[in-house]
Amino acid sequence: MKYTIETHNLTKKFALQKGFTDFFLHPFRKDAMTAVVDVNLNVKSGELFGILGPNGAGKTTLIKMLCTLISPTEGTAYVNGYDIAKDSGKIRESIGFVTSDERSFYWRLTGRHNLRFFAALHNYYSDDAEERIDELLSLVGMEDRADDMFLSYSAGMKQRMAIARGLLNDPVVLFMDEPTRALDPGAAQNVRKFVKEHITGDAGKTVFLSTHHLPEAEELCDRIAIINEGRIVAVGTLDKLKAGLDKPDPGLGDVFMHYTGKEFERGAAPKHVYQGRRRMMGGGRHGGMRF
Amino acid sequence: MIWKKAFSFIIRDLVLATSYKFEFFLRFFFMLFSILTFYFVSKLVGGAGMAHLEPYGGDYFSFVLIGIAFSGYLMTALRSFSESIRGEQMMGTLEAMLVTPTDTSAIVTLSSLWSFIFMSFRVLMYLVIGILLGVDMSNANVPAALLILVLTIICFGSIGIISASFIMVLKRGDPINMFFMSTSELFGGVLFPISILPEWLRTISYLLPITYSLSGMRHALLQGYSLSALAPEISALMVFSVVLVPLGLLSFRYAVNRAKMDGSLVQY
Repeated sequence: MKYTIETHNLTKKFALQKGFTDFFLHPFRKDAMTAVVDVNLNVKSGELFGILGPNGAGKTTLIKMLCTLISPTEGTAYVNGYDIAKDSGKIRESIGFVTSDERSFYWRLTGRHNLRFFAALHNYYSDDAEERIDELLSLVGMEDRADDMFLSYSAGMKQRMAIARGLLNDPVVLFMDEPTRALDPGAAQNVRKFVKEHITGDAGKTVFLSTHHLPEAEELCDRIAIINEGRIVAVGTLDKLKAGLDKPDPGLGDVFMHYTGKEFERGAAPKHVYQGRRRMMGGGRHGGMRF
Repeated sequence: MIWKKAFSFIIRDLVLATSYKFEFFLRFFFMLFSILTFYFVSKLVGGAGMAHLEPYGGDYFSFVLIGIAFSGYLMTALRSFSESIRGEQMMGTLEAMLVTPTDTSAIVTLSSLWSFIFMSFRVLMYLVIGILLGVDMSNANVPAALLILVLTIICFGSIGIISASFIMVLKRGDPINMFFMSTSELFGGVLFPISILPEWLRTISYLLPITYSLSGMRHALLQGYSLSALAPEISALMVFSVVLVPLGLLSFRYAVNRAKMDGSLVQY
């Protein structure tokens, strides 16, 4: 296995839900939108790989395909040598997933109860689980609040618990979907420091991180892939990405502009469009998009 | 290992249920009301319809007590699987569960365990209150009743999983749930013996597993029928199980694959 993550022409198209009129007038017409197009990426072991793009660029869809939560429409991908279409169970044994959605915990259970429950889903029980949970609570600095209800935690604490949960099974690869999105600058900086020092530094894990925050990508990532409208438009180290630019001392924003022709903020999807989707064919009067 | 995992789900749901303490106690308290309602209805009915009740011991209150107690398993099966998916989707916890090595069908099945345990406790309470109100179960064939209970849970659980498959894909508007919810009370012999129905309507009763489940349970608990005397009901429930279990598993697998393809696994 040369790479920890490999994707080959990975593509995802979503069927669009029809409105009532189209449902009756065009019952057999299938409209679709493409969220991810022909993505080819290779991520090495121990690398902190960032996928940078505005909201709606296809980052979350790409991560969810690699985590086996969404099936690709075309193309293939391998995580730890396992095919995402055929070996989803094996993949889920060897990955961790950190989301920025704080609702992904049981708020009326304590932090420890939550970790105990998710440890069981990872096939860790009794003493093994308790030992691992204590170790992780100490790592993320939550040992003093572990027996408080999850609903009493601050956003930063919730994110620390999300990281602890993502590490429960000692994964080879940790997928992090915009891990600092809901955090204030101070808490976000702490999370970034933690990821850099402990997850890739001490533990040597491969991290696949999505972000729409330029400084975060600049600060954390060994290599960055820029994704725009579902396509990877550039991949490389920050220095390599900057190399082709005429501007002196360009930032990642300039790099984004160079490869996509847009200001980073302007690449964002309109607010009424749910993330990760663009219409590929068909009219514009259809109902909400599915996710 | 599956037992340890099941235990984790039960503990999670017990802690969550008891964290809403007032609701937890109210559910027990109001359980009494439906039993008392039928107790007084049976006083009114008295010996009327005796011919129809004779095969079950002749007492309406005993008949209806078993009916409302054990039909609860069907309602639990129809609701718990689909509600567990929907609940986790709405709480936002489903995705975090689906990214673990635990199989999706195991997650859905184990998420429903607490509902079945709570239902079993409820049935036990019904039976105890029934006995206190004069229902005679002194001749009950408990092993036979337990066998019928296991087959009942397998059948109803499979129907619940088929229902959850529709929820996984359609999100709302599950036809299986609507069909069984609306037909079981009328045709399944919950509140009155199916012999009261016109013969052409009774045909529908024979197509529903609840009919055999309630009939078998009444014969086992109220009249102490032997296993050989209960053979028609047990055989019918076994046939339903053989058909419904693979159908449930296949439909759920299809639904999960379809939802992954649609990208709607955590959508509600």
